[in-house]
Amino acid sequence: MLEKREADVIIIGGGIMGCATAYRLAKRGVDVLVLEKKEIGNGGSCRNAGGVRQSARDPKELPLAMYAVQNIWPQLSEELGVDVEYHQGGNLRLGLTDKDIKVLENHTAKSTKLGLEVEMISGDEARKLCPYMSEEVVAASWCPSDGHANPLKATLGFYRKALQLGVTFVTGVKVMALEKVKGRIRKVITDDGVYEADQILLCAGYESRRIANTVGIDAPVERQFNEVLVTEAQPKMFDIMLGVAGGEFYGHQSEHGSFVLGGNSGLQAFTSNNDNFVTNSLTAPCISRGIIKYFPILENVKVVRTWSGWYDQCIDVLPVIDNIKEVPGLTVAFGFSGHGFGISPAVSIAVSELMLDGKSTTIDISQLTYDRFHAKG
Amino acid sequence: MIRVANPEPFVEREDDDMIICRCEEITKGEIRRAVYDGMRTTNEVKRYLRSGMGLCQGQTCQRLVQGIIASELKVRPSELGMIQGRAPVRPVEIRTFSKNVTDVKED
Amino acid sequence: MKRHELIVIGAGPAGLSAAIEAKKNGMDVIVFDENQRPGGQLFKQIHKFFGSKEHHAKTRGFIIGQQLLKEAEDLGVRVELDSTVMGIYENKEVTVKQNGEVHHYKGDAIIIATGAAENMIPFKGWNIPGVIGAGAAQTMMNIQGVQPGSKILMVGSGNVGLVVSFQLLQAGCEVAAIIDAAPRVGGYGVHAAKLARTGVPFYLSHTVVEAKGTDRVTGAVIAQVDEHFQPIPGTEKELDVDTICIAVGLTPMSQLASNATCDMELIPQKGGHVALLSEYGETSVEGIYCAGDVAGIEEASSAMIQGRSVASHVSMKAGYLTEDEFESKYQGYQEALGQLRQGMFAPKNKGRNDFTETDEGYPISKTLLAHGYMTEEELSKFPAASYQKAGIHPVIECTQNIPCNPCQDACHFGCIKVGENITRLPAIDEEKKCTGCGLCVASCSGQAIFLVDETYEEGFASVTFPYEFLPMPKIGDKGKALDRQGKPVCDAEIVGIKKTPIMDKTAVVTMKVPLEYVHAARFYRAEV
Repeated sequence: MLEKREADVIIIGGGIMGCATAYRLAKRGVDVLVLEKKEIGNGGSCRNAGGVRQSARDPKELPLAMYAVQNIWPQLSEELGVDVEYHQGGNLRLGLTDKDIKVLENHTAKSTKLGLEVEMISGDEARKLCPYMSEEVVAASWCPSDGHANPLKATLGFYRKALQLGVTFVTGVKVMALEKVKGRIRKVITDDGVYEADQILLCAGYESRRIANTVGIDAPVERQFNEVLVTEAQPKMFDIMLGVAGGEFYGHQSEHGSFVLGGNSGLQAFTSNNDNFVTNSLTAPCISRGIIKYFPILENVKVVRTWSGWYDQCIDVLPVIDNIKEVPGLTVAFGFSGHGFGISPAVSIAVSELMLDGKSTTIDISQLTYDRFHAKG
Repeated sequence: MIRVANPEPFVEREDDDMIICRCEEITKGEIRRAVYDGMRTTNEVKRYLRSGMGLCQGQTCQRLVQGIIASELKVRPSELGMIQGRAPVRPVEIRTFSKNVTDVKED
Repeated sequence: MKRHELIVIGAGPAGLSAAIEAKKNGMDVIVFDENQRPGGQLFKQIHKFFGSKEHHAKTRGFIIGQQLLKEAEDLGVRVELDSTVMGIYENKEVTVKQNGEVHHYKGDAIIIATGAAENMIPFKGWNIPGVIGAGAAQTMMNIQGVQPGSKILMVGSGNVGLVVSFQLLQAGCEVAAIIDAAPRVGGYGVHAAKLARTGVPFYLSHTVVEAKGTDRVTGAVIAQVDEHFQPIPGTEKELDVDTICIAVGLTPMSQLASNATCDMELIPQKGGHVALLSEYGETSVEGIYCAGDVAGIEEASSAMIQGRSVASHVSMKAGYLTEDEFESKYQGYQEALGQLRQGMFAPKNKGRNDFTETDEGYPISKTLLAHGYMTEEELSKFPAASYQKAGIHPVIECTQNIPCNPCQDACHFGCIKVGENITRLPAIDEEKKCTGCGLCVASCSGQAIFLVDETYEEGFASVTFPYEFLPMPKIGDKGKALDRQGKPVCDAEIVGIKKTPIMDKTAVVTMKVPLEYVHAARFYRAEV
């Protein structure tokens, strides 16, 4: 029976961050082992609406988003040999009220400063871009270089490519704790025995905090509940990624033709839900009302399923991507706060550089450090 | 479960063009290739190919897809996990969904 | 939100029975069904059921459905039709699509009784129109009154395939063949025999490899399979059919249980993914139960008992039954279920094909398993099938241990004995006199009882058999007597026809045949 207990690098978490980073590291000749508790991409990686968005991002993570859009996404299908269904159809972030417009204008101003091409447009201009939209929309921000992709294909595409480059994956293994040996990270204690490596990347979504805690590392990250509905396939209507200013409604029409639309009932922060991913009975109706408000033409389209997931919400809604100096050999990438998918291909480059070169040189991630939550000096 | 790349080349079969998931028109060959590409569970194949994501949500094809995966991997279908049952278990129009009656009149 | 003590999902045999039991015990129960009429699959079942009196044996399925509905109505059970349960959420909340809206209900307990869906097998062209499920064929014939096709290939020789094939013949269709990849007929031998004697050929160890046609089926190619169920090249045979009917088993429709986060497992003997259940039918989520086919594929008779059994547990937990009351009800239901779950076709024996003799020690007919009929030589090993006596007397060609005993109750003179264990083969009491009334002939759900009189006339015998086809023969009609594989063996003349209400549309027809064919002649075909 095949077994592998040791590698140069162990990656904890078989989501898109883990799979993509495994691929980058393997490409640079590193021997990588990925540990995953359930199946590949079972967490937020396959439970998101597929936005590849730069607009309305915090300037601190905008470099990741812009790098991904400019340098990775357009060629990713070819690079991976799997069609990740990337569409650069632009992003409309919709506003219905004056308050919404203020939020959008604020984001637009900040992003423009960093060189992102994004502008405020009127409701009518938005309807020219997407004729199916109702009169409710009075203004929008428009970022033509934004888009969307298929998160399932992208995650499994990275996984497949990593496998091809010699990465070993072990699934069905739950990580219980990390242990240092002689001052450096070394051991991964699991429900299936001990695995060892010189370097460890922790990118296990909301479970990262529990695992990090076992070596005295902590970041203010909590899990957040998130729900999406999927419709039956429709003829192609638009290629635009949509969202509303407050983020309570978002989605796109997938290449397959189905609409993938997320939203919330306002109750999810307080859900009593367990790990079984049961949806809330009020959320799909809320999303449906949102759809009818913005896209009344879709009212007779059938919903075929709803699903939910947990994402790793960080206190400042930004990820922690860093080498942990207190625990040499440990690198973390978590806290993506529900918008990690679009930047994941860039994150994998930054993380692989962090791990192999000691710092991220290609992309500026200096604002996403671990010590931002801790006492200085 | 340990997973490494399959060193052997993918071998096509005569009946690879047979449709297995009717809703999403996924063929036997696509499922076999997905397994070859590293998909090891019912859900991974579903996410990779959309088998079981159509109107019937896998009621018809899950058994068939699992049979193919199991035979490719030489395991029992019961080891492959299953497609999670998701609301609505029957397709429902957005219009209907939006009419959400929580207070039912007493009759 | 409206709250009920019990929400039952599905108004089929299991769900209705559960609701009846709960209501009888005093519970506040509501039943939802997505269809426009209740009864589930029962209303498609025009054949007589097996079992004993308490299982409604020898009653046709749709009549059992009517009785169940009446019982529910008389008790005032609330059944909401056209009401699709969309999901089960936390705290036993369900959403239901009704009148174009989503309604929310909550239950103290939920019984999932959503039944099963038909299995499909893939082959070249399996997705072109004309390839249909056996259940769909039943709906077309028995609910909508439409023939599913004119020439039909039945794929699958389990009870569903056999019963539906017979119904197709009754509906005036031609059944070109019944095939099965297994080397043995999967369903009851008596169901196979009543088809074989009409001339329907059986091809065991055969599979369908192609549906011919582009926009609809214009033919079917079948081929013999090897021991690994792979088609053997060169054995292909093309059949002239316009419809391919698939009857290769059922899969529990268990998505709601999975949606409700019940622990699930793929259990092949139960037909697919099912919720793991306690002995009382409760899932891993407290207060959520499964009953009927969704809990594991069986049949309507056991589904009805399971429904009642599960509902009695719910009633006890809700305080409507004491523990003692529950225990005694539960024991009764378990006994009734136990009777149905005995014999060679018991759920625990699913997939077994190593029976070589009956419980009584008689050798099981190999021809029956391979071709759907028995040879006279094989029948001679069974006393009731080879019984001979001067004057009219029954001949019972029932040769497998199946749970059924209406023949015993049918004979008012005690000629036929099954005994306590209803899977025993019926035996004939030679001391008792047969009057030739024919009630046993009509009562046998397997149509396996005949009356024979070797001394009917000088040189002639009479053979009395059950007949459920139109047009009904008339006295004086002349035609051919067919043997057990449907081959004409001699001339025959119709000399008697009995149709009484108690026979429930099974005519008891008597034909006169030359004496030497008395043991061969078992069916009749009019001269055309």
